[in-house]
Amino acid sequence: MMKKIYILSAIFFGFALVSCEPEFKNPVDTEAKANPGQADFSKYVAVGNSLSAGYMNGTLHKSGQANSFPKLLADRMKEAGGGEFTQPYMDDDTKDIGGMVVGNTVILQPKLIVNAGRGTVERINATPTIQLQPHPGPYNNMGVPGAKIYHYVYNGYGNSQNLLNGTANPYFVRMASNPNASVLEDVLAQQPTFFTLWLGNNDVLWYATSGGDGVNQTGNTDPTTYGPNDLTDPGLFAYIYNQILQALTANGAKGAVATLPDVASVPYMTTVPYNPVPLNDSTASALNNAYAQYNGGLQLALQNGLITQEEASKRTITFHAGKNALVIEDESLTDLSALGLPSIRQTTENDLVVLPAASIIGQPDPLNNNLLMGITSPLADKWVLTETEVAETRAVTAQMNAVIRALAQQYDLALVDMEAAMNELVQGLRLDDNSIYTANYFNGLATMPNLFFSLDGVHPNTKGYVILANKFIDAINEKYGSTLRKYDPGYFDANITILNKN
Amino acid sequence: MRKLLLTLMLATGLHAFAGGYRVALQGARMLGMAHAGTAVYSGPETVFFNPSGMVYTTGNYQLAFGANFVISHVKYQNAETLATAQTQNPVGTPFYVYATYKASDNLYLGVGIYTPFGSTVKWEKDWAGSHLVNNISLKAIYFQLSAAYKINDYFSIAASFISASGSVNFNKNINRFMTDEEGNRTNVELEAKNIPATGYTLAATIRPSNKFTFGLSYRSKVIFKARYGKATFNDRPQYFPEADAFTAELPMPAEFDLGMAWKPAKKITLAFDLNRTYWSVYKSLDIKFNRLGISKLPKNWKDTWTWRIGAEFQINDNIFVRAGYYKDYSPIPETYFSPETPSLDSNNFTFGLGYQTGKLSIDLAFLYVNGKERNASYDYYKEGLSTPKFAGEYVSNAFVPAFGITYKP
Repeated sequence: MMKKIYILSAIFFGFALVSCEPEFKNPVDTEAKANPGQADFSKYVAVGNSLSAGYMNGTLHKSGQANSFPKLLADRMKEAGGGEFTQPYMDDDTKDIGGMVVGNTVILQPKLIVNAGRGTVERINATPTIQLQPHPGPYNNMGVPGAKIYHYVYNGYGNSQNLLNGTANPYFVRMASNPNASVLEDVLAQQPTFFTLWLGNNDVLWYATSGGDGVNQTGNTDPTTYGPNDLTDPGLFAYIYNQILQALTANGAKGAVATLPDVASVPYMTTVPYNPVPLNDSTASALNNAYAQYNGGLQLALQNGLITQEEASKRTITFHAGKNALVIEDESLTDLSALGLPSIRQTTENDLVVLPAASIIGQPDPLNNNLLMGITSPLADKWVLTETEVAETRAVTAQMNAVIRALAQQYDLALVDMEAAMNELVQGLRLDDNSIYTANYFNGLATMPNLFFSLDGVHPNTKGYVILANKFIDAINEKYGSTLRKYDPGYFDANITILNKN
Repeated sequence: MRKLLLTLMLATGLHAFAGGYRVALQGARMLGMAHAGTAVYSGPETVFFNPSGMVYTTGNYQLAFGANFVISHVKYQNAETLATAQTQNPVGTPFYVYATYKASDNLYLGVGIYTPFGSTVKWEKDWAGSHLVNNISLKAIYFQLSAAYKINDYFSIAASFISASGSVNFNKNINRFMTDEEGNRTNVELEAKNIPATGYTLAATIRPSNKFTFGLSYRSKVIFKARYGKATFNDRPQYFPEADAFTAELPMPAEFDLGMAWKPAKKITLAFDLNRTYWSVYKSLDIKFNRLGISKLPKNWKDTWTWRIGAEFQINDNIFVRAGYYKDYSPIPETYFSPETPSLDSNNFTFGLGYQTGKLSIDLAFLYVNGKERNASYDYYKEGLSTPKFAGEYVSNAFVPAFGITYKP
């Protein structure tokens, strides 16, 4: 009898051993290939600046480059016949902090981090390991941090001899195939079958981030006369942009071009409010007394017809209990120095105070410790992009975007509307899965999931670059009928370093 | 025996293959008949199914114990992201021990130890849904004392007191992206052990004739309130805390069972059961951390029906053959489907064999659970301002061999 039980048990437990896994009716094929459509992704080259390089947190560091949007794009292209995708040499960034040194001299600062102990954002306290020495390309990712449109066609941009006079770029010195190649030549040497072109950002950005410290060069087509913070002439921009596209498409390559986002909307320009000065009643009236002489002088100038009523009101400085506007220098005001009156006024909500100003506002003026910056010592022009300068930047950006749109159509290319994307971001970019990304600056751990920008307030963090890659994928798929797969930015770490102490 | 019991308790790991996290494996004999035991007198197993059935006990006392071996699989896939995952659940071994005692001609007492709820789901670490669960092990052990009173030959009633003990171990990633400095995903381990709670049961049996029996059984909800939970953060970045304390509440729903047994012939028993499980008690899984604030995961589950039909044929004096089918429904609404309790609608097939000799009977049972493929999502996970959906298709199955031994002196 026991034998029978053994046999029965064996049958029963045997069932369990042969138990098989459940199967889906339509199992997904994780190795599935994507369709390239009319595009040929076999040789993809990214033409651009820091945004293509994977620059973030105020530098190009290894893990930032690893998730550059062209790299993300290339990984998806591989599923649709794409080839290898090389990026500029970064193996010497052993600490993943970016920056650059010549010998022991730091020429580019390492990455920004959050110092949780002090609650500040600052450069990491470590020495970069990236040396300024050539690792000749060309590389598929030809994003050169800092490149303006005219740099792209300049022979000598990668020549270290030119570093001292400021016409060479240390990043391109490292990646150029030879010291006298232009970036465009190194792009074309690779005979790309597909390209992304996103240039022009620095042609407006640096003007904005320098608080309009440069010159609006509209009408001046000679870039050798430009300073680093100038606004590039839109005519020059159109000329070179067309030249680049002509060369890229000469052999039938297809590609995607991107418009320029509004640089006045990045957190670098929007985080510090125009009225960050909290005052109580007594301090406010003391300050009003201090400015009484200046305000009185304005009235005198008005009575003498030197300034209009409008300018007099604009320049009159008043403080009250609560949050107060900053006192700034504004070169566009009527020069009243003959009356002993400086060209100063208070900020309005249409002025943009740049991010680094946050750490100096209310601090003692290094030149006169009795004065407080932004309150009793007017802030210099470079700290504020004034309303007029904002308008100038936007006007130039609009003209460049008109050029990009027209040329995209002329060359029959995919167009990625980054101008619209930036506007969406300002409103809160909502993805299909109900996640939201904002154009806000880092403000504590809780803001991390929704953060698009890195700590420099200008460049995206990794999540942001993933969103950009998706924008390119959408435009490419739409234009060429390809089926490149998008990414979910939610699963990517922003790549913002938080340290207890620095 | 004591050693065996101890071993079983240590090894207990269950899987929620019945609706929700209900584990309907409370007797090998009844499992062969689709676990439709509300109106079938099944020996000491009746302590669980319907304690008023104790009045049919023969002899002064009886003893039964048994165990199940749960081999379960759940698979996930998403056709858009191409993410796939499957569980590597350890073999679960829910067990039971019952004893009945005849105190007088009308009064019968019973005691039972069983594990009616539990869930062990182990996904691949850092899989696509790891922000919802990496692995979870939920265990509830019920200790039940019952008294049955025989009012007359046609009618009996019973009541029980339940003292339950719950333990939970839940590991999930902090969110979809946070890592330590080496790139390992940050996860939190939530642990609460031996949480006490109480409940009760009420039951009645009506036997109008030898051919028909009707049973009613109600088991109250049992709410586990974890007051001293421990949260440990693993693979955390340097600025993140190492540990925290939490409180949470996990309800075991009430169940109402209605059963009928029919003996159309001397050697044939047919059993029908209808179970109502009041899952709507599971509204939200709120984990209140001491320092880190509240994590709220709305559940909003719905009450479910389960219907069962089982049969037993007596082949000869010693051997019984059993078979059954039951249909189980998922209590989880479309947009509340979270992989920590991947409960699917299921078709369930059972087979059983009983061998009876003298004072001893041995029952073997086998259950096959075929979970119906479902496309669902969890839409209430929060990450800052975002509430990103976690969507995909799920399919599951389970194989459960079981044995039980009954001793009648």
